[in-house]
Amino acid sequence: MNMSHWRNSITLRLSVAFALLATLIFTALGLYLSKAADDHMAELDAHELHSKLAQVSQTGIHEPSISAFATRLNDQFASEHGLIVLVEGRHGIVFNWPHGNPIPSGLTTNHLTHAAPERIDLGEQQFRMVTGTAQSGWGENLRITVASDIAHHTDFLSHLQRDFWLAVLAAACLTVLVGMWISRQGMRRVSDIAHAAGRISAGQLSERISEQEIPTELAELVSAFNAMLGRLEESFQRLSDFSADLAHELRTPIHSLRMQTEVSLSQTRDINEYRDLLSSNLEEYDRLSRIIADMLFLAKADHGLVIPGKGTVQLRPLCQRLCDYYGILANAQSISISGEDIAVLGDNLMLERAIGNLLANAIHHTPEDGNVSIHLESQNGVALITVSNTGPMIPVSVQERIFERFVRLDEHGYEGNGLGLAITKSIVLAHKGSISVQSTEAGTEFCVQLSLTYTSPNTAVSGSASVSIG
Amino acid sequence: MTMKILIVEDEPKTGDYLKQGLCEAGFSADLVRNGLDGMHEGLSGGYDLMILDVNLPSLDGWQVLKALRAAGRDFPVLFLTARDQVEDRVKGLELGADDYLVKPFAFSELLARVRTLLRRGRAKEVEKLCLADLELDVLKRRATRANQRIDLTAKEFALLELFLRRQSEVLSRSFIASQVWDMNFDSDTNVVEVAIRRLRAKVDDDFNPKLIHTLRGMGYVLEIR
Repeated sequence: MNMSHWRNSITLRLSVAFALLATLIFTALGLYLSKAADDHMAELDAHELHSKLAQVSQTGIHEPSISAFATRLNDQFASEHGLIVLVEGRHGIVFNWPHGNPIPSGLTTNHLTHAAPERIDLGEQQFRMVTGTAQSGWGENLRITVASDIAHHTDFLSHLQRDFWLAVLAAACLTVLVGMWISRQGMRRVSDIAHAAGRISAGQLSERISEQEIPTELAELVSAFNAMLGRLEESFQRLSDFSADLAHELRTPIHSLRMQTEVSLSQTRDINEYRDLLSSNLEEYDRLSRIIADMLFLAKADHGLVIPGKGTVQLRPLCQRLCDYYGILANAQSISISGEDIAVLGDNLMLERAIGNLLANAIHHTPEDGNVSIHLESQNGVALITVSNTGPMIPVSVQERIFERFVRLDEHGYEGNGLGLAITKSIVLAHKGSISVQSTEAGTEFCVQLSLTYTSPNTAVSGSASVSIG
Repeated sequence: MTMKILIVEDEPKTGDYLKQGLCEAGFSADLVRNGLDGMHEGLSGGYDLMILDVNLPSLDGWQVLKALRAAGRDFPVLFLTARDQVEDRVKGLELGADDYLVKPFAFSELLARVRTLLRRGRAKEVEKLCLADLELDVLKRRATRANQRIDLTAKEFALLELFLRRQSEVLSRSFIASQVWDMNFDSDTNVVEVAIRRLRAKVDDDFNPKLIHTLRGMGYVLEIR
C-alpha cells in the first residue's frame, strides 16, 4: 500500500523529475567542461612541445659539434621535469633527455608525419609528442622527438571530474529535497481543498470552497467541485422534500387507520360495525401498499433499474384498449383517437401504464361537455403521442412541477396518489423518450416522444410477460 | 371432493393467514415453512396445487419447482414473488410454474387465481350461464333477466360472463380489470367501480333478488343472498 502510495505521490514524482533533469543538465555541462579543459591542456602542451622542438633545432643549427650540442641541451633542460627529448642523427642517438632513463620504446617507434602533437598512451604513462627534423651545425640531418609526460594533466582532470560528479550527486539530492518542499507547498492548496471538502456533510451542503486565492491550476477543480456540490445539494433537497412528502402521505392514512381502530375498539360493537371497520381498514391498506409500490417503482427508475422489455408495441390498439377502459370514467366527455398506427420498441405493460395515467388524468380534468383526444403521429423517426383535453389551464407554477411526485392539481376529490405523472415520466425516460406539457386556456396537451421501431411485427417479441388467466 | 393445496411460505404470518384463508374457502391446505420440506411434501403428498414462495430458506422456490417438474409432478404451481421483475416472472413461468402473484397481493386475488388453476382443463365451456333468473347465452351474446332482454356493451357482457363463471367468488378490482379489459397494472382509478355500477343498473336495479354484491375493500361477488 505504501509503495503504491509513493508511486502515486505527485510530490515524489515532481522531485524525481527535478532531480533527473538537474542531473542531466549537470552531466551535460560537466562533459562539456571536461572536454574544454582537455582541449585547453592539449593546446598548452602543443605550445610547449613546439617551443621545445624549435629550441632543440635552433641549438642544433648553432652548435658546431655533437658534444657542444649535447652540453648545451643539458644546460637548457636541467630544470625540466617530465620532458623527454630524443635527437637522432645518421649514426643513431645523438642526444637523449633525461639521462640514464631509457626512452619508452613506444615513443621511438612512432614516426609522426604531421606537426600536431600526438597523444600516446603507454599503459600507465601518457605522453604527448611531436617530431621534427633540423640541420645541424656539423652537417648532419637530425630527427628530433620531443615528448612530455602529461600525467599531471590527466590527474588534474580526473580529480576535477570526480569532484564534479560528487557535486552533481549532491545537487541531485538537493534538488529532490528542494523539489519535494516546493511541490509540497504547491500541494498544500490541494490538501486545503480536501480539508474543506472533508468538512462538508449532508447537513452543510450549502458550503462552498472559496474560489478566491486559489491557484489558477486548481481553479477548475474547485469550480467543478463546487458545481458538484450544487447538484448534490439540489438532489439532496429534492430527496429530503420527497421523504417529507412520503412521510406525510403515509402518515395520514396510518393515522386515520389508527384513530378508526382505536375508537372502534373503545367499546363493544355490533358485528357489522366490526366488519365495516375491517373493510375500511382494508381499503386504506390497499391505498398504502399502492403508494409504496409506486414509490418503489419510482425509486428503481431513479436508479436506472427500471429496464423496459424490448418488444414491438402497436400504439393504436394499445390506446384503443386504454380508451375502452378509462372511457368508463367519462360521463359526457367525448374521447377520440386519431392518427396512424405506429409501433415503438418498448415494454407493453409499462407504456400502457404511462399512457393510461395521462388518459385518466385528462378525463378527470375535462368538464362534462369537453373532449379528450389521443393523437398518434410519426415524425422523423420519432413517435409522437399527444394526449390532449379541453380542460382548464394548468397554472404555470404547477406546470413546471407537474411531473414531480405528490404534485396534485386539486387536493380533493380525485383519488390519485399524486404519483401518476411521475411514473409516466419515469417510464418514458426509461424508454429513452421525452415528455412535455403545454397548457393554455384552450386546453392541455401532454406530448410523449418515443423512438420508432422498424422491426417487422412478425419478428417482434411480446414486451410484457403478463399472464392471462381465464 | 376437497382440493388439497400445499403452501410453501417462510413468513410466519403470511403463511398462517394463507392457510386459514384457504381452509375457510373450502380447501384442505397444508403449510410448510422451508424449501426442503416443500419439495418433500410436494413429491409425496398428492396435492392438487402448490402455492410456492420464491424466497425460501434451505432451498429456494426455483429449485423446488425444478425438482417437482423433474420428478414428473405436474400439478399447478402458483408462485409468490416479492420482486416485481420481468425476469423473475419469466423465469418462474419457464421453469414450469402456471401463474404468479407479486407481494403484496389481495387474498381475493389469490383465491381467484387458485380457483382458475384448479378449474383449468376440467371446466367445459358452458354455453349458457345462469343464476336465479339471470341468463347469459354466451354463443348468441344475449343476456336476459326474468326473460327480459338486457342490452349490454361488449365489455359489460364480458364482465357479467366473468361474474357468472365465478359465482360466489370474490373478484378483486385488479382481477376484473385484468380479465375484462386486459389491464394488467394496478391503477388507482375507480374504473371498475363505475363499470360495476353501470352493470348493476342494467342487471340488478329493476330486479330482485340483487345478485351483484360489493365486499368493501375486497371486491365484488355474484351470488344469491
